[in-house]
Amino acid sequence: MKASILFDFLVFPGIVFTAGLGLIAGWLDRKVSARFQYRVGPPLFQNFNDFFKLLGKEAMLVKEGVPWLFVAAPLAGFAVISLVATFVGTALFFGRDTGGDLIVVMYLLMLYSVTIVLGGAAAGNVYAGLGAGREVKLLLADELPFILACLVPIVHAGYRPQLADILARQAEHGMLVGSVSGAAAFVVALLAVQAKMALPPFHIPEAETEIVAGPFIEYSGPLLAFWKLNQFMMFVVFPFLLILLFWGGFQLTGPGVVWGVLKYLLILVLMIIIKNTNPRVRTDTAIAFFWKYLSPLALAAVVLAVLGV
Amino acid sequence: MDSPLVLVIAAPLAVALLNLFLPIALRKAMTVIGIILGGVLVRGFFGAPPPSVALFGTTALSLDDLSFFSLAFIHIIGLIIFLFCLKGLDPGTERTFLVLYPLTLACANGTVLSSHGVGFLVFWGLSGLALYGFALLGQGESASATAKKTFILVGGSDVFLIMGLALAAMSSGWSLFDARIPLAGPAEALAFVFLLIAAFAKAGGFPLHTWVPDFSRDAPVESAAFLPASLDKLLGIYLLARMMGGYFEVGLFTRMIVVTLGALTVIVAVMMAMVQHNGRRLLGYHAVSQVGYMIMGVASGHALAFAGGLFHLLNNVLYKSNLFLALGSAEKRAGSHDLDELGGLAKAMPATFAMALVGALSISGLPPFNGFFSKWMIYQGLLEQAGGLAPAYAVWLLVCLIMAVFGSALTLASFMKFLHAVFLGRRPERFEGLREAPANQWLATGLLALLCVVFGLFAQAVPLRLFVFPAAREAGFEAFTYPGFYRPNLILTLFVIGFLAGLAVYLLTAKTRRDGAYIGGHVPSEAFRVTGTDFYKEITEMRPLATLYRQAENKAFDVYDLGSKATFGLSHLLQRAHAGQLQVYVLFILFGVLLFMILAG
Repeated sequence: MKASILFDFLVFPGIVFTAGLGLIAGWLDRKVSARFQYRVGPPLFQNFNDFFKLLGKEAMLVKEGVPWLFVAAPLAGFAVISLVATFVGTALFFGRDTGGDLIVVMYLLMLYSVTIVLGGAAAGNVYAGLGAGREVKLLLADELPFILACLVPIVHAGYRPQLADILARQAEHGMLVGSVSGAAAFVVALLAVQAKMALPPFHIPEAETEIVAGPFIEYSGPLLAFWKLNQFMMFVVFPFLLILLFWGGFQLTGPGVVWGVLKYLLILVLMIIIKNTNPRVRTDTAIAFFWKYLSPLALAAVVLAVLGV
Repeated sequence: MDSPLVLVIAAPLAVALLNLFLPIALRKAMTVIGIILGGVLVRGFFGAPPPSVALFGTTALSLDDLSFFSLAFIHIIGLIIFLFCLKGLDPGTERTFLVLYPLTLACANGTVLSSHGVGFLVFWGLSGLALYGFALLGQGESASATAKKTFILVGGSDVFLIMGLALAAMSSGWSLFDARIPLAGPAEALAFVFLLIAAFAKAGGFPLHTWVPDFSRDAPVESAAFLPASLDKLLGIYLLARMMGGYFEVGLFTRMIVVTLGALTVIVAVMMAMVQHNGRRLLGYHAVSQVGYMIMGVASGHALAFAGGLFHLLNNVLYKSNLFLALGSAEKRAGSHDLDELGGLAKAMPATFAMALVGALSISGLPPFNGFFSKWMIYQGLLEQAGGLAPAYAVWLLVCLIMAVFGSALTLASFMKFLHAVFLGRRPERFEGLREAPANQWLATGLLALLCVVFGLFAQAVPLRLFVFPAAREAGFEAFTYPGFYRPNLILTLFVIGFLAGLAVYLLTAKTRRDGAYIGGHVPSEAFRVTGTDFYKEITEMRPLATLYRQAENKAFDVYDLGSKATFGLSHLLQRAHAGQLQVYVLFILFGVLLFMILAG
């Protein structure tokens, strides 16, 4: 393995960069959400403080659970998110595929959900079990439109799943979101991502007022810190993926950087706005929404993409 | 007749005959010796195929790369599953089981080695009979009905095989290896359809799959891992691969129809699997669902997808038998394969759980396990295929592809439920003091899990290079280039680095304490147990799925039930015609004579 790949994974655009930017994105989320509720919101480095504070706290293991799986789940989740961050990041910034194409990325994202489910199921707590079940249901709900939406850039890139090919196509023909099929697919993908991150209105697995954080109920200390960090890292990974697939990528030179940051902020703020303006939906409503409304829309986008529109 | 090809069939057959008389321990020893002997012979065929065997002036047995592919894995899987059978077989049926096991192996070997249609037919039919024998060993209340259903569906499909081979023989002789039949006339088209029915019934393709879940529930669990999960797939898909890889010259439209049937198999079976409350039936439906991927790959006509389909066959054999056996271990300890009754076994049976976890992640197609690699090959093949088609066909193929990808998300969901219900969640109190499965059992599941990992990480170097690509070349496919990009080794390495980094942080900072679960002040008890079987209630209650599920429960889509209803309806009609009055019978004769005269002109 080349040292450069290790650097990609550990520093940029992998763990250090994604975690750092994620914690700041998380601050933006908290700040904007606070403004929605006429509050001031936390200071810039609050998430860093929270993370290190949690590292110093006690970690509780449940007697009834399966301790090794309970501990392994958040760490495995962290590794998976770091992998996706690296693959998406190297394609986005350097235009090359590192470890896998879009199909691999889609499946790795499923693997992340698996870690949540296994962590919840290993806790031996009834709320965690219920939350784990809901997490899978939510995955089922958003996966169908997400697959369809991801197929649109693949079709536009000449039926090739490599991330670099998708970017190359957009460099040649302009951003995908400028086409009818691309715009429709982006809207679908954005909503599916909202569910993949379990953000409101799709925070069904965690549902604090119902099942008290669901899969995460028994997590505390460093293990909880990792779950929180994973969630913040997703604030980077998913917007970057959407920029890569639909918004023509992120150039690291000259005005490209400004455009890139603006694209990122646009998507992030869109996600935060959706999050703050919608109450939680029921599981069956979410499934019906994704399967009966978004999926046909995404299928229409795929058909348009095949026709080259 | 002293060719090693004959010996490969004769050795297990002789073991089966001997086993009729030997005591149990010797029966096991003989079976092991028989399989190992066969394995050594097959190893010798590697790179140096033995001469064909002629009988009555025509080639009867012959080995090419496609049959070698199946033959090798029949032996590998036969040996590993038998390792599981060494200890823990049901004492009531053990004697018969140990006769049927080598007999099945002999039949399977004969099937893939027969290059002549008649020999193929005989061995294929006999393997179906052995399947019926295993079904008869079942002990549940519905076991005999299941055995009958299996026999009628699988045996009935043999009739189609006979007709199909005979029709094909009319245009190109009985050789299975050398023929190239264009689907020009109705006879050839009919031959294709009949052989397709036979392959689908054997492998468990939609809509002829309905015997698989029932057999999986009622037959001994070892035979469920051995036949519907492994050998029947190897045989059924072997036939399909022959059909699609040169035996017939298949046009695009026909291919698309078969690919669509494959996609439907994936979705329909996995939707049924998700709602099962019986662990074995759940696995049985997945055994069906996975066939869909193989059918799609093999039927697509794209080189990479074809190879992917064959590779998926191997992978399925590994993880599906692993899952059946792991459930078998749990079931033998806990005394039930009902998901509502199991739970929390991971603590008592950590090795079995770890193996089942690998199997579950593999079947769900998660990287870097083997199931992902073959699915990834199939997806790319279908994508590239779609890229070269007219828009209408491209959309059609993409819809099939979406069904396949979504099917794997559903598979994942179903296995999360399976793992939760069997191994995780809260442990019922009666399972206190349960012990790990015997060593031979977790060694067998462990070997299968290990192969799942090895085939995922070293796919290119081991299974593809040695078995899959030569077999696909035999079927006329060349040039396996990947339009996508995937580095399983790198993914695993980086994953381990990331995981260890996290673990280091945890170990350096954590102060741990153990305590009971917190459920809002209630005392945790059995009443608060989540079994996981109701995870997908929302989906079964959603319109229009609710209606479909209800009808499926009433067997409204089961070919077997529909067929038996039609048969009984017809015989009821005929019964009513038997009035017992002489005049009526004379009238029948008169009508018959009249009809005959009209027909004869």
